[in-house]
Amino acid sequence: MLKIWSMKQKQQQDEAAATGGAKKKKVTAAQLRVQKDLSELSLGSTMKTNFPNPDDILNFTLTIEPDEGMYKGGRFIFDFKINQNFPHDPPKVKCTQKIYHPNIDLEGNVCLNILREDWKPVLNLNAVIVGLQFLFLEPNASDPLNKDAAEDLKANREGFKRNVRLSLGGGNVGKQTFDRVLK
Amino acid sequence: MDEATGTGLPNRPGAQRMRWKYLDNILTRHGPFTDPDWEPGEAAIEGLARAKLLGAGGLGCEILKNLALSGFQDIHVIDMDTIDVSNLNRQFLFRQADVGKYKAEVAAKFVEKRVKGVKITPYCGKIQDKDEEYYKQFAIIVCGLDSIEARRWINATLVGMVDDQDPDSMKPLIDGGTEGFKGQARVIFPTMTSCIECQLDMHAPRAAVPLCTLATIPRQPQHCIEWAHIIAWEEERKDITLDNDDPEHITWLYQKALTRAQEFNIPGVTYSMTQGVVKNIIPAIASTNAIVAASCCNEAFKLATSTNPFLGFPGTDNYMMYTGDESIYTYTFQHMKKSDCPVCGDDNIARPLQVDSDFTLQEFLDSLAERPEAQLKKPSIRSQEKSLYYQFPPDLREQTRPNLSKKLYELVQNGEEVVITDPAFPLTFKYKLVFK
Amino acid sequence: MADLPPPVQGPTAKEKKYDRQLRLWGATGQRALEESHILLINNGPGVVGLETLKNLVLPGVGNFTILDSAVVSEADLGVNFFLEEEHVGGSRAEHTCNLLKELNPDVEGYFVSEPVESFLTNPDSLKPYTLIIVAAPIRPELLARLSEHASASSIPLFYIHSVGFYSHFSIHLPPSFPIVDTHPDPETTSDLRLLRPWPELVQFAEEKTKDLDNMAPDDHGHVPYVCLLLYYLKGWKKSHSGQPPQNYKEKTAFRDLVKNSARTNSPGGGEENYDEAVAAVLKSLNPPEPSSAVKELFKDPECLLVKEGASAFWIIAHAVSLFYTKYGVLPLPGSVPDMKARSADYIELQNVYKSKARRDVTEVTESVRFLERSIKRSTQIEEKDIEAFCKNAAHIKLVRGRPFHVMNAGKTVQWGERAKALAQNLTFQDSLIPLYIAFLAYDTFTVSHEKDGLDNPPRTPGDTDTDADVEQVTGIAFKIADDLIKEAGASIEESEYSEMKTWVGEYVQELLRAGGSELHNIAALTGGLVSQEVIKVVTEQYVPVDNTCIFDGVKSKTSVIRV
Repeated sequence: MLKIWSMKQKQQQDEAAATGGAKKKKVTAAQLRVQKDLSELSLGSTMKTNFPNPDDILNFTLTIEPDEGMYKGGRFIFDFKINQNFPHDPPKVKCTQKIYHPNIDLEGNVCLNILREDWKPVLNLNAVIVGLQFLFLEPNASDPLNKDAAEDLKANREGFKRNVRLSLGGGNVGKQTFDRVLK
Repeated sequence: MDEATGTGLPNRPGAQRMRWKYLDNILTRHGPFTDPDWEPGEAAIEGLARAKLLGAGGLGCEILKNLALSGFQDIHVIDMDTIDVSNLNRQFLFRQADVGKYKAEVAAKFVEKRVKGVKITPYCGKIQDKDEEYYKQFAIIVCGLDSIEARRWINATLVGMVDDQDPDSMKPLIDGGTEGFKGQARVIFPTMTSCIECQLDMHAPRAAVPLCTLATIPRQPQHCIEWAHIIAWEEERKDITLDNDDPEHITWLYQKALTRAQEFNIPGVTYSMTQGVVKNIIPAIASTNAIVAASCCNEAFKLATSTNPFLGFPGTDNYMMYTGDESIYTYTFQHMKKSDCPVCGDDNIARPLQVDSDFTLQEFLDSLAERPEAQLKKPSIRSQEKSLYYQFPPDLREQTRPNLSKKLYELVQNGEEVVITDPAFPLTFKYKLVFK
Repeated sequence: MADLPPPVQGPTAKEKKYDRQLRLWGATGQRALEESHILLINNGPGVVGLETLKNLVLPGVGNFTILDSAVVSEADLGVNFFLEEEHVGGSRAEHTCNLLKELNPDVEGYFVSEPVESFLTNPDSLKPYTLIIVAAPIRPELLARLSEHASASSIPLFYIHSVGFYSHFSIHLPPSFPIVDTHPDPETTSDLRLLRPWPELVQFAEEKTKDLDNMAPDDHGHVPYVCLLLYYLKGWKKSHSGQPPQNYKEKTAFRDLVKNSARTNSPGGGEENYDEAVAAVLKSLNPPEPSSAVKELFKDPECLLVKEGASAFWIIAHAVSLFYTKYGVLPLPGSVPDMKARSADYIELQNVYKSKARRDVTEVTESVRFLERSIKRSTQIEEKDIEAFCKNAAHIKLVRGRPFHVMNAGKTVQWGERAKALAQNLTFQDSLIPLYIAFLAYDTFTVSHEKDGLDNPPRTPGDTDTDADVEQVTGIAFKIADDLIKEAGASIEESEYSEMKTWVGEYVQELLRAGGSELHNIAALTGGLVSQEVIKVVTEQYVPVDNTCIFDGVKSKTSVIRV
């Protein structure tokens, strides 16, 4: 053991500064990574974050206000929960409102490949928010979570658009009543 | 021997060392690979008796037995789990009657009773409950943890403990893990050799299926089970917290999955498969656990006694991969340390930095901008507990801006670690703030 | 809950206890384990054998018997976990047996405190056991007798050394030890027959790719990739005089063709099914050739000529070889990997493969029944065994068991057909053959240093006068190495030769340093390895070591060699 330590001493350039005080808690690898990711977020004018507890950067919400496409005029709030195993594990993201969207179910689950099967530690939070933003520009009918919405979109795009408008205003589509999410 | 070995078998004098006859052959003789400077005999024997070791995790039974019979006498064990009936096929210190009791307690009591003279101190809880002071007392930490998260935590903690001024602050970490017929044993000298974070790519992430497949086009029995687990439960039993160990809950999921599978003509949903998918069960057998745990303890023994070269010595092999399903295959190699490792990379070791505690945070950041190695333009800074100042995103900036005018002593404690990032640099800067 | 099926019977108590292992070897493996009776002939410090048994008692081996005439000593307590203080002076067989039995109430344990010598004088004494484990040291004539028994009654025999930081074990299996359920990596097992499609598959693919170019986006993105590949293969063949892509270059060209056919205007920017098709090109466009091991199996005399009394394995193997001769392919395994597709299409595709596999099994079964009649077999081979064989045909493994070396003073080791290969590897840096030779020399020393003319155990090298013993054992080891080189007719460079001798010398030195001691860790690790191999042999699943494994606890390395 002592041998190894002396190797370490050689390896080290002398850091002159003295240490003092009790050792304190270390910033975790997950916090560190989220901090980096946050500084690289490009939110643009359509997105903003909200940190209910600013000291806790692992839990926050993201608001998206699409400025084009059929969801324009809506304000969509996603809840981000990041665990200490980030970036090995992907962030857990859910839509907090009940909305009419082929790729988001009524419980708020989001079908976005990089949130699940295609997540890799090299991906960052920006990739996730870009993916979310894209879902509102191009809802994908071929791999739906909300089957009714997908069928609707496939069958009649104009009709679907109307239903989206209805739902954004808090109206009914089929048997379901949706949350009012207009700005 | 006497107090040092501390066992005392008063009615059979001399029996004490007789017991270690076999071990003593190794401890009292030079071998062709032992260091020429190594002194066999009394010193080696006493060193072994004095070393305090920590064992933790699912390989705990094997680790405790092996360490006790390697001559270690002061062993601590941490385990948060209670005994489940499915542990009995491999965790040999537990019996049917022990189901429900704490593993650490039952295991410690058993080995103390069986191997006279060894002291085993159990702690029933999470490794995360303990702080640096606690880990500081051990010579070596042997872990057979079952989650990546726990491994990363202990690794980061031990890396963070290393104090350049104190040789005793570097604690070798020996880690073992198994999965069916496969496993690995590795030795880490925190900050010196490749750490668990450097080796994260050795763990394959769990394969996941797209949510939309589960929701609309299931094809496999597992898809139906995942659907019941992730989607149906939330829709229908939102108010009940899913308990993977509650048979009623598993039965509910099983039946849901079965109904869905029948709807889509998918064969193969079983109760056992439902359990396996929901609990993410990894097969585990006694033989692989024995192999990996013994390999870890063999390294601990060599390390503590210098009776032979051990894995992990800087510049040599530090990782043994084991596969036993097709014949027996091991691959022992040196996993290289990553210079950009977020835990042990050179830039990620907190450097002590003398600061004036009367500085405001703003003044401190300004002073950093002048430091040649930093030259920060838009720094964001945090401690483990506090977001001190974030340039981005805007709402976090607004919320943390008031900190800029606060004095350092109001924000951090003397010796506390802070992390600084800047979009202009790919690196992070870690400092331990030492008040002048 | 009204829409749910009636409540189910949960797992039984036994299924719960063994859950983590049943997921590996299943109910059939478990049954085989429970029907076995393992005999441990324990010698020396006796740790490695007990650590082996521990890992067999826990998963529920049916019965075990410990044969051990040793009396528990103080030294046993420092290395053996299955003894307690009050056992000192008592029978080691008895007390270790009792403490092992505590591990699992489902297991029956027995002990015999008699010396091996007298135990073996009764010709029937070995009859009850289905597998025998011997821990060294043991007198060579006794080991030879056990080896004869293993050969004569097709009982697997394990021989283990655990000395200091080193260990070794050899397995003597019956000359023909087939394994059907080898548990190959699922990644390597899918056999889609894209180059040899049968009419139903062709028809299915044609249906699913009809008017592919004009399909609605949603439909286009859900065509199973198997159908896509068959579709584009058809096009490719048209322009390549009927031939599929032959070599790497053509395959990459074909891959590009598939890649460029994917639609890019979809919301996701691509099509998953095309991605899967592209990824599958290189590994799926191979003619379905059986492995060389399987072809060799077909050429085996036992397969070519099935005689009266032939085992089920050889009868089925013969039937499958007939199938292969007739069609040039093995029976279809019938499994289909998961792929992007609509549920109904995927299930339909699965059924296309499954029904072809079933037809193949039926054809093989007919041959089996014919063979059974012609050799007048009294019982029919079970359908499920034929099915399992057909499903795993490409991955079947036949281990040719053989006796391991039993050292006898004055006699040189015969390496036979293995001489060349072993001599070649002798000088490789990572080879542990020099350690194996050190173990052979260790045994030879014990043989020639009997403590007395009686039945007492031989003297252990290194127990007292280490230096003198090292010199002797090293000399024996060098001779064994030289004999090997001579028998192989190998020529080895002087520098390599002297390096090899250094290694052998160091191994001997380290081995003798232990003075016959076992280190608990090495015994536990080796017990883990041996128990794993016992389980493979007993369950006839996975692939066992053929036939010798060596462990170096200094370097933390293993090596498997066939001797």
